[in-house]
Amino acid sequence: MKDGPMKKQSWPKKNVDVCIRCATCMAVCPVSRVTSKFPGPKQAGPGAERFRRMGEPSVDDWIDLCIGCHLCDMVCSSGVNISELNLLAKAKYLDEKGRPFRDWLLTHSYLYGWVGSFLSPFVNFLFRNSMIRWVGEAILKIDRRRKLPDYEPSTFRQWFKKHRSQVHQIKEGDHPPFKKKGKEGFEHHFMERKKVGYFYGCYMNTNEVDVGRATVQVLEVNGFEVILPLQKCCGIPMLGNGNFKGARKMACYNVPSLLKTIVSGSDIIFSSTSCGHMIKHEYSHLLSIPRADEVALHLFDIFEFLRNLKELNGLDTHFKELPLKAAYFAPCHLRALGIGLPALEILRLIPGLTLDNIEADCCGMGGTFGFKKEKYEISEEIGRDLAEVIDRLKPEIILSDCEGCRMQIRHLTGLKVSHPIQILRDALLPETKFTL
Amino acid sequence: MNPCILEPLKERMHFDLIVIGMGLSGLMAAKTATEIGQKTLIIGKGMGSLCLFSNTIDVLGQLPNGIKMKDGLSHWIKDYPGHPYAKVGVEKIENALSSFLSLFPPPYPFQTIDHRNCLLPTGAGTFRPTYLIPITMVGGSLIKEGQTLFVGFKGFKDFYAQYVADQLKCRGVTLPLPNTSYEMTAIALSRLMEIKSFRENIGQEIKKHLRHETQVGFPAFLGLNHPIQVKENLEEMMGAQVFEIPILPPSIPGKRIFNRFKEWLIQKGVTFSLGSSVSKVITKGKRCEGIEVFHPPVTTSFFADRFILATGRFIGGGLRADREKVFEPICHLPVHQPRSREDWFEKNFFAGHSQPIHQAGILTDLSLRPVNERGDQILENVWISGTILANHHCIDEKSREGIEIATGYMAAKQASGIST
Amino acid sequence: MKMITEVLIIGGGATGVGIARDLSWRGIPSILIEKGDFASGASGRNHGLLHSGGRYAVTDPGAARECMAENRILRKIAPHCIEETDGLFVSLPEDGFDYRERFLRACDEVGIQTALLSRDETLELEPELDPNLLSAVKVPDGSIDPFVLILENARDAEEHGAKILLHTEMTSLILDGDKIKEVGAKDLGGGEEYTIKASYIVNATGAWANQFLKLAGLQIGMALSKGSMLITNQRLTHHVINRCRPPSDGDIVVPNHTVSILGTTSVRLEEVENFEVTPHEVSLLIQETSKLVPAIQEARLIRAYAGIRPLFQSETKEDDRAISRGFVLIDHGERDGIKNLITITGGKLVTYRLMAEKTSDLLCKKMGMHTPCSTHLKALPKANRPTGLTEKLKQFSFERVETLCDCELTSRKEVEEFLKTDKLKDLQDILHRTRLAKGSCQGGFCVYRLLGVLHDLRRINGNSNEFLKKFLEERWKGIRPILWGPAVKEEELMEGIYKGIFNL
Repeated sequence: MKDGPMKKQSWPKKNVDVCIRCATCMAVCPVSRVTSKFPGPKQAGPGAERFRRMGEPSVDDWIDLCIGCHLCDMVCSSGVNISELNLLAKAKYLDEKGRPFRDWLLTHSYLYGWVGSFLSPFVNFLFRNSMIRWVGEAILKIDRRRKLPDYEPSTFRQWFKKHRSQVHQIKEGDHPPFKKKGKEGFEHHFMERKKVGYFYGCYMNTNEVDVGRATVQVLEVNGFEVILPLQKCCGIPMLGNGNFKGARKMACYNVPSLLKTIVSGSDIIFSSTSCGHMIKHEYSHLLSIPRADEVALHLFDIFEFLRNLKELNGLDTHFKELPLKAAYFAPCHLRALGIGLPALEILRLIPGLTLDNIEADCCGMGGTFGFKKEKYEISEEIGRDLAEVIDRLKPEIILSDCEGCRMQIRHLTGLKVSHPIQILRDALLPETKFTL
Repeated sequence: MNPCILEPLKERMHFDLIVIGMGLSGLMAAKTATEIGQKTLIIGKGMGSLCLFSNTIDVLGQLPNGIKMKDGLSHWIKDYPGHPYAKVGVEKIENALSSFLSLFPPPYPFQTIDHRNCLLPTGAGTFRPTYLIPITMVGGSLIKEGQTLFVGFKGFKDFYAQYVADQLKCRGVTLPLPNTSYEMTAIALSRLMEIKSFRENIGQEIKKHLRHETQVGFPAFLGLNHPIQVKENLEEMMGAQVFEIPILPPSIPGKRIFNRFKEWLIQKGVTFSLGSSVSKVITKGKRCEGIEVFHPPVTTSFFADRFILATGRFIGGGLRADREKVFEPICHLPVHQPRSREDWFEKNFFAGHSQPIHQAGILTDLSLRPVNERGDQILENVWISGTILANHHCIDEKSREGIEIATGYMAAKQASGIST
Repeated sequence: MKMITEVLIIGGGATGVGIARDLSWRGIPSILIEKGDFASGASGRNHGLLHSGGRYAVTDPGAARECMAENRILRKIAPHCIEETDGLFVSLPEDGFDYRERFLRACDEVGIQTALLSRDETLELEPELDPNLLSAVKVPDGSIDPFVLILENARDAEEHGAKILLHTEMTSLILDGDKIKEVGAKDLGGGEEYTIKASYIVNATGAWANQFLKLAGLQIGMALSKGSMLITNQRLTHHVINRCRPPSDGDIVVPNHTVSILGTTSVRLEEVENFEVTPHEVSLLIQETSKLVPAIQEARLIRAYAGIRPLFQSETKEDDRAISRGFVLIDHGERDGIKNLITITGGKLVTYRLMAEKTSDLLCKKMGMHTPCSTHLKALPKANRPTGLTEKLKQFSFERVETLCDCELTSRKEVEEFLKTDKLKDLQDILHRTRLAKGSCQGGFCVYRLLGVLHDLRRINGNSNEFLKKFLEERWKGIRPILWGPAVKEEELMEGIYKGIFNL
């Protein structure tokens, strides 16, 4: 596979001609809702596309303000691939303009995350220090109002290694070897499929280990053995910064590795909807990674997977009562997956849990978007609408499937924010006791 | 594909009812079915024409002035037995509208003016007849020459106060927007209007311009989430009645309707899948078994006992036209249509009657199941609702939302087996 | 009102305006009257091609030579009206090489620079072309914006003393022996009537030449040929694409601003007004041009329009393409005994300046003057203004002010500038002077906004919905022939807005 700039032929078709200028997309864009600097999807995508020419310099600097939420795509009844048009234009703009070191730093945390974990007390202290944050803003243009996420003292991988050795001592040999698929029937099929691969994502690995723990625990309760295919960052931070080359590099590592797991008979689940959306839909379509389509077929959101289990009557629903007032926020990339709101559907099975859906579009974090000094205010302004809804609902805890959303909601509300799988685990495991 | 790879543990979700289409008709169908207790999936790309044209609920604006809607509908049904309304019947149309109204309790209720059509001013300074109006627009039905001040904003290009005022013989004022020289969208302004300081600024500015006017007409962007709060606060500040005027798309009042349905449906546990477009249906004989959704590179199937097709007309994607014919792209149902492309459109845009292509659509039996030109049923577990139906001219009749609500309601009742 | 001038020019197309400019630089006073706006006839209804002359090299070397010479001049004096796209004469397998060889020789003879490109070289330049093509010949074609060209000519003429009366129709013509004594005219807007006395009268009415001459009891042999064109939503190529074969229907694709123009047909007409693009022409144009650019089959069209070529003929011929595309200058003194009347007609947009030069030369000769022409040396006003799509997007990005036309990025500011400087009489005048309503939705949103701005500025105050309806009817003529695919959705949207939301 060749690296380097993409050839025009491999780009997705630009569906500009089908835009009828109806402006429905303008009604949902979170960015143009809060700032006039971004002209909105109709204008930024199909509108400006009629003026863009290969070989001429980019002059649309506002294109960098597209947050990549895909909301415009979802409401376009004509099928204009607006966010793709924006992303391609953004890539061209940033390729020409050059990306600051800050962007490299924000998109390569997979390289230094382990250092953060290793030195977590020190790093976390630094991140909280207002002086350091001031310097970070002055030098790196990372907004000082944005708190950088804490590193955990040990990574998910480290935990998992320990955990597996414990589990294996007890269960070694319990599982029948993988057999060929039976003639018919999904139940039969699923019974044989005891192993499931987990694409955990780099943020969880170093910064939110309990999400991974919960995922593994829930799957194990449901009779699955979790395996971890070799993996690197999914590449979405790079793609979001228009760095196709970097993103492809990540994808080219991940696809063969995930395929290996799939070929051995396991499906793959993910707990970060951003990573999931990236691998499932952008790898093959936008980045033209060979065999990414095969991976996509076997890749599921954790709650989508659990919902499927439930459909097959295979989900353990022996939940204990969880008297809690929670509110759920569906991340943009979950919506873009087009699988409905499976976390909401599953969590509603938990007795005692009051669960409101937060009716708001986009949290405004946009991955690395919200860290950047020049975009911080836009990010906060978008998030303000979400915070207002939360304020009215007055939940004890907020749930969301995406680390970016969780980070933003914590930042804006100061409330406890978890991944829905953590709540499910708490309702499922007798020994865990949920505390706020 | 590598032969070693087995079928994934695939989504094979089964529902009682799948509603295809997220316009008003699909939303109404999903609501009705959910109330009956059906496990429902609603799936669609876009928000139909809700965010484009729907500000108020038209039922049959074309009726002569002063006629009670119920009487008008009865006559209409007699005169046009092929019209979608004729299939629903007056009683069920009323039930459907009541069901819609129940979703909008105060503070944002819809109401009629004495169960008749009323005339509301538009962004072109014309009046248009409509039936159910949101409380933010009621004031528009009362405007008198010289009594209303129309307010526009510099940098907001989809409404011109002076344009409207000149047509309606009133005054107009165009205010600068505080702190911006950029242009602003309706949605951005609707958000700003919900911010107290911004709103007060505007209110005070307008008050300076008020002379003897008792009403102030705004473009329809007085807040997306709390329009009443915005309206009442402005009224208090200015001492004049405030009302909204429908403008160019996108429609904020339409988005309010969409959001309310969405909130309700998700709360009731409906599987709500916005953004996916159904690429085909899986049929077996005269039965539809499931739908396929292609989201590159993955195709996902959903199965159900019954289906409602509420995909709208051309804008919604329910109908498509190539150079030869009009066709229905999902179920491949036959489309009733003019004989050739030559006959689709009249020589004039304002032809005095509706363009012939707008009568095209899907023919159904009395229960809204699709039939061919001979009247033979094509699919037995699919019902058709909304503007994709043949034999109406919703634009000229001013019947868009009424048809959507009534047939969405009826289709869901039929599909759920609760109907005569 | 009575007016006296040296030369009265009838017709505000490229030729008429060009003559006004030419005379003004020679110091000869003139008045130009035009019953509509500038460029209302063929000048504004063509495919905007800056001919290299290649199209005529084989059939009409004289015309080709003129084209090439004028092409060079226009690049110098009107760079802001021109995009130097170059053109390709593409040979498809069914065309063979015979014509290409004749074409290359002919171009060589008339001095049109050519370069022969291989299939691969051609596809590298224009990836949307049919990959089965054999080769292409590159020529110095370009694209030209006729509206800007004519406006800048008019502005220059006025700055140098010419007087221009738009929306002013000629109502009468009084002959006095062998001379036209005076001409009556009426302002169609304000209703004012004029009596204009002029030493010389130039009939530059193009396709309307005989209508004018009829008032003087004269007639010339002229054929009216309708040429229909289609506009795509986006640019499909960045070069002018010609079919390398003898001229025929659907053999050219011209990039123009954001769009491509597919042309043309040739249908003989009897009448100057009331013509339309027929479904047959639409099919024919798509069928033929898509042989060059296959994407045309799927491309969205946004408008169909037609213009009338006035073709001078001495005797009736069957195929209009066989009639010379060169121009004719008739001294009615010699031909008919009316000493102070000249008719100039025929020709092409690209030779407008030459036509003006020759007309002015003849006038000078009649006046006994020897002032030479200088229009080929003097650049038009604003000639150094940057142009192009990237420039437009840049302005939009930089200013981010109210954009009335989202499709073509026409700002309110731009419209207000025109309102300040020009005496505009109707909506169409503004549409002629800007890119408003020339994009995807064809004015579906921006014309309403434009009327709003006019109300805002108190330029109008009456029932604007009549204007709006009139515009929508006019728009309908252009879109009705191309309504299928996404265009039908667009149509439904527009009906939903204007008949629905606005209840017009």
